[in-house]
Amino acid sequence: MLQFDHVSKSYPGGFVALERINFRIAKGEMVFLTGHSGAGKSTILKLISMIERPSTGRVMINNIDLSRLKRSQVPYVRRDVGIIYQNHRLLMNHTVFDNVALPLVIEGFTGKEMVKRVHAALDKVGLLDKQRCLPQTLSGGEQQRVGIARAVVNKPPLLLADEPTGNLDPELSRDIMRVFEAFNQVGVSVLVATHDLGLIARMRYRTLTLKQGRMINDGLMPVQEPL
Amino acid sequence: MSILFSGRASGAKANKINFIRRFVMFFVNHLRQALFSLGELWRTPGSSLMTMAVLGLSLTLPTTLHLLVKNVQQVSGGFAKAAEISLFIRDSATSQQVQGLKTILEGDPQIAAVRHISKDAAMQEFQQASGFGAALNYLTENPLPDVLVVLPLHTEPAAARALQQQLEKERIVEFAKLDLEWLQRLDAVVLLLQQAVVAIGLLLLSAVLLIVSNTIRLSIISKREEIEVMKLVGATDAFIQRPFLYTGFWFGVFGGLLAFLVTEVLLWWLRGAIAGISDLYQSDFRLQAMSLQEFGGLILLAVLLGVIGSYLSVRRHLRAIEPS
Repeated sequence: MLQFDHVSKSYPGGFVALERINFRIAKGEMVFLTGHSGAGKSTILKLISMIERPSTGRVMINNIDLSRLKRSQVPYVRRDVGIIYQNHRLLMNHTVFDNVALPLVIEGFTGKEMVKRVHAALDKVGLLDKQRCLPQTLSGGEQQRVGIARAVVNKPPLLLADEPTGNLDPELSRDIMRVFEAFNQVGVSVLVATHDLGLIARMRYRTLTLKQGRMINDGLMPVQEPL
Repeated sequence: MSILFSGRASGAKANKINFIRRFVMFFVNHLRQALFSLGELWRTPGSSLMTMAVLGLSLTLPTTLHLLVKNVQQVSGGFAKAAEISLFIRDSATSQQVQGLKTILEGDPQIAAVRHISKDAAMQEFQQASGFGAALNYLTENPLPDVLVVLPLHTEPAAARALQQQLEKERIVEFAKLDLEWLQRLDAVVLLLQQAVVAIGLLLLSAVLLIVSNTIRLSIISKREEIEVMKLVGATDAFIQRPFLYTGFWFGVFGGLLAFLVTEVLLWWLRGAIAGISDLYQSDFRLQAMSLQEFGGLILLAVLLGVIGSYLSVRRHLRAIEPS
């Protein structure tokens, strides 16, 4: 369902972020993306969410070449891809409820249907009792979970997460990973970018490893191998 | 609508919310957004009030000038009778001849009315009005002529002048006098005023556009992060720009109302002075206030300016903000 076809991305000034990346993620698959910081993990996520466009090659979702889409179609692509950001990207002066409801409001949901979906999403991440709080009053882990609830509230078929456990303790990291697994089990494709190798080793999912913009490993990570 | 996943149910439409409900919700949503924008203005009263005040005061000047022109036109409309032709009768004519001419003229289809001012009546009026009073009693005979005052049916300058020339040929008429020039001058001055109003109005309106668009620009910049987040979760430009357009709308509504209030206060202020002047001129002139239509026009204009100013800014600056 997600396919990178000889994708390269270089920035003005000659910095090459990605070099001829090829991979596929099937529907309902859960995949980790790892590598040192600067290896190109974020760039891959940005290409999928159309924040950046590839210099060469094609990024395809469901066999549709993203580079062929017009600027005005970008919002509709983003509605199909739920993204969880490392720095949460929440609206700090709106309540948790409003933050999670935002994608639904954008799609034109109102009233009971919207409230029902927001509550369901908040319930999944265990924050139903915090819906009237402002994000500032929440801990880092809770803010991360609000971000997850927002990403899944309109049930996207593809879920991207950028360092979702970046600054959380192992206990919380495991909880958040369980949330992702739960979504994966209902058929959502999940791509998690992380450099938490211990987590990857425990979870034993297919792992894409990047090094300086190249893909150096695609498959199960051998547990002992130092990166 | 999902571009990537053709089978994917997405959005309110795909979730089978029926048409009528969606139609109603469209308006409810807009109302909600309008009220939300109003709330935003309420939360930042300082800058909002400034913008509304600038808009309102800028609109006050053209509005007041417009009312001024309207009132002057009303006054000059009352001067239609100024196209009267005065026929000064020769001394040699008898009063029978004068009456005869008056009857003939009254039958003329080009003439609306004829009034006879006899020598004696003219003398009396002159004595009362001129202030010479008793001094005139020393005159041995009345030097004033009989006068027939003719009001033409067509008071336009050209028609009135033709009639004047025709009447001057009457045998007992010494000469005919038509006082048109000052009326033409007044018309020219009114026209000049009108054009000045249009020019000043246009200048002020463009200033208002720039001010609104700059205020909205600042508001967009201050919400940069929020806009990025909205774009990231799939908001279209139309969705993001709507609150800003409503902000412009409210600027217009309140600016227009302010302009109306200030103009009313100005009129009230001037009313006393104008009553004094019109008393001196023994005229029953009353200052005309704004009509309901004009009030509606003012508010509509203000709202248009607010929305267009906001749109100009939104179109330029929303595109520039992209998440990174």
